[in-house]
Amino acid sequence: MTNFSLWVLLPPLLGFIILGVLGSLMPRGGILAIGWGACGLAFLFAIFDFFSVLNAPASSGHVSDLVIYNWMTAGSFKLDFGLLLDPLTATMLLVVTGVGLLIHIYSAGYMEDDPGFWRFFAFLNFFIFAMVMLVTADNFLFLLVGWGLVGLASFLLIGFWYERSTAVAAARKALVINVIGDFGLMLAIFLIFMHYGRLDYLGVFGNVGAVANGSGTATAIGLLLFVACAAKSAQLPLYMWLPDAMEGPTPVSALIHAATMVTAGVYLVARANPLFENAPVALGVVAGIGGATALFAATIAIFQLDIKRVLAYSTISQLGYMFMGEGAHNYTSGIFHLTTHAYFKALLFLGAGAVIHSLAGEQDMRKMGGLWSRLPITAWTFLIAALAISGIFPFAGFWSKDDILSSVLAYAMTSGNPWVYILWGVGLLTVLLTAFYMFRLFFGIFMGNYRGVAASATVHDEDDEEPASGGGHHGGAVSYYDIHEAPRVMTVPLLILGALSIIGGIFGSFAIFGATKWHPLENFLSTVTGFSAVHVPVATIGIDWTSTAISLVLALIGIFFAWRLYGRGFQYKENTSPLYQLVLHKYYVDEILTAVLIRPVLALSRGATRFLERDTLDGGARGVAFVFRGSSAGLRRLQTGYMRNYALAIMLGVVLIVLYYAVRG
Amino acid sequence: MPLPAYLTVSAIMFTIGALGVLIRRNPLIIFMSIELMLNAVNLSFVAFSTFLDSADGQMFVFLVLTVAAAEVVVGLALIVSIFRTRRNIDVDDMNVLRG
Repeated sequence: MTNFSLWVLLPPLLGFIILGVLGSLMPRGGILAIGWGACGLAFLFAIFDFFSVLNAPASSGHVSDLVIYNWMTAGSFKLDFGLLLDPLTATMLLVVTGVGLLIHIYSAGYMEDDPGFWRFFAFLNFFIFAMVMLVTADNFLFLLVGWGLVGLASFLLIGFWYERSTAVAAARKALVINVIGDFGLMLAIFLIFMHYGRLDYLGVFGNVGAVANGSGTATAIGLLLFVACAAKSAQLPLYMWLPDAMEGPTPVSALIHAATMVTAGVYLVARANPLFENAPVALGVVAGIGGATALFAATIAIFQLDIKRVLAYSTISQLGYMFMGEGAHNYTSGIFHLTTHAYFKALLFLGAGAVIHSLAGEQDMRKMGGLWSRLPITAWTFLIAALAISGIFPFAGFWSKDDILSSVLAYAMTSGNPWVYILWGVGLLTVLLTAFYMFRLFFGIFMGNYRGVAASATVHDEDDEEPASGGGHHGGAVSYYDIHEAPRVMTVPLLILGALSIIGGIFGSFAIFGATKWHPLENFLSTVTGFSAVHVPVATIGIDWTSTAISLVLALIGIFFAWRLYGRGFQYKENTSPLYQLVLHKYYVDEILTAVLIRPVLALSRGATRFLERDTLDGGARGVAFVFRGSSAGLRRLQTGYMRNYALAIMLGVVLIVLYYAVRG
Repeated sequence: MPLPAYLTVSAIMFTIGALGVLIRRNPLIIFMSIELMLNAVNLSFVAFSTFLDSADGQMFVFLVLTVAAAEVVVGLALIVSIFRTRRNIDVDDMNVLRG
């Protein structure tokens, strides 16, 4: 089978270099041609890759490892820069480049008036390159390279509007937390190298038994890998950076912090599934953390007022779902939910971006409302996405979410472990909460009356000219009649993603309708997820029906409550009950961290500045200077400047030398 | 005359020259003292040359004379230059190198 991965990898890199070097000199059209072209080419070759895997002869095992060059050889250890193409990579490539391309297109409208237009596209191309690197690497070391590069891309794009101090702080926070994850990944790689003596996936996974199943080492490897995944995919307790990452431009939130980069952790768990199967404790932690995060983030999302923050917490919650599914040994369900989530979450963010764009940078839900008739395309696609994420039949989220929930239930019944039943319950509760907060958001934005500053009072008395609604980074009130639908370059990606959010689920499981053999994605991924011989519980039809029916009913209840409360528009009431305040302030996690971690570290640093830097290091240098100055103060008296003194000294010296030789004889 | 007589005269001349260098404050006199020391050495060279019946000492004398001439040229030039800038050539006033 032919491996086109190099051609997926190179165009975004070239695009980044060209835009980065010449972008500031180029006209708009040129920037778009290169930015879109690079991503489009990558997508084209990702499609080639996909069909190449799909049509590969069974004898190849649907795996192709293309070695580009030998990076290093040391004794028996050999490390290549190679591109692995297998079903998992092909799926990820399609998601990354496909959603990436749509967001490239959308950005042309969203970032239209931004002075950093070329810089934005250069960074976007760089991100695509880094992400492709991450998913195509054929060994852990180059995975780490991709891992680090996507973190860098994320840092650059969160801090894109670097004049804002909040954006810079958010970028720094994201980078620091991501580096914690990178560190975990590095330690895991060291352990893998120590015990397997190699780093290529195929070699390690093929020989996974070299570390005894369930041993401390296997668990340590699994947990360290999961530290990396938790940091990248914003799981407890390393999730804090993702809500703050919303400081970046909205297309960035859609692409990096919802659709693709944050799913890298889900990808890694699926990729390293033999290692996780080898460490049941670590896999249990994955499931537990996933469930806890799903519920925790969903509760926060309920009370947020900034529309992008609601979506950010929703992303964290959905990522928790993916880990939950993977923790229940069903890796396909995690990847499946990753794919469908990429569609509808990108759609939600882009829709939110269109709303923000039309309101000239307003993100507060209290100042929205009644936009249904002003922004029809955005509203319809947003509704589709909200239905999809709530898991309503037959939208994409329904299939993937219920795949996860039913496999968790199946796992609970096979293992008989009460904790897994609790996990399932948590998943169902989260379904209710998800439906509620998504429709709270939907009704808040699109229903009721417009609550902007210039709301109903003005009757379109000002001139018809559209206010300067730029890249959504300068807030301001827009009067209701000046709100316009976004340009076509922004609505077309919305429509495409809307279509995908409707039909994107058909690749999943039709098992609920009795078609037990209909598992295209699972069959496709079986060479990856079926690597180890550990028993994966398959949900039977009965279980599927039970779980699905309950979750569907819960989702409908959630929507109903949201409609009862907010159906006629969002009314914000100041609520002082401590529980409400607790959740509104995100459980004060940031404040606690500031008090517990950041303040002490800063105090320690200040102490170090005072005692180590100033007193010890500077003091030492000054001490040396002091000693020399003191000793020279005595010696300088010898330099009288009188010539006769020097002459006398010379003469005395000569006399002494002569005397010495005279005495010695 | 025997050799020790020449050497005695040479030593006396050298001592006078050395004391002159150390004591006098006028650079011209100091130069003359230096010349005196050089010529004391020359005298001992010539005395040894005769005593040892060898021309080597006299060759050294020529060398010393040449160097002394060159040295005086440079020295006088320096003194003139210093006088032009400072209007004063007292060596004890030239102490800018004092530590």
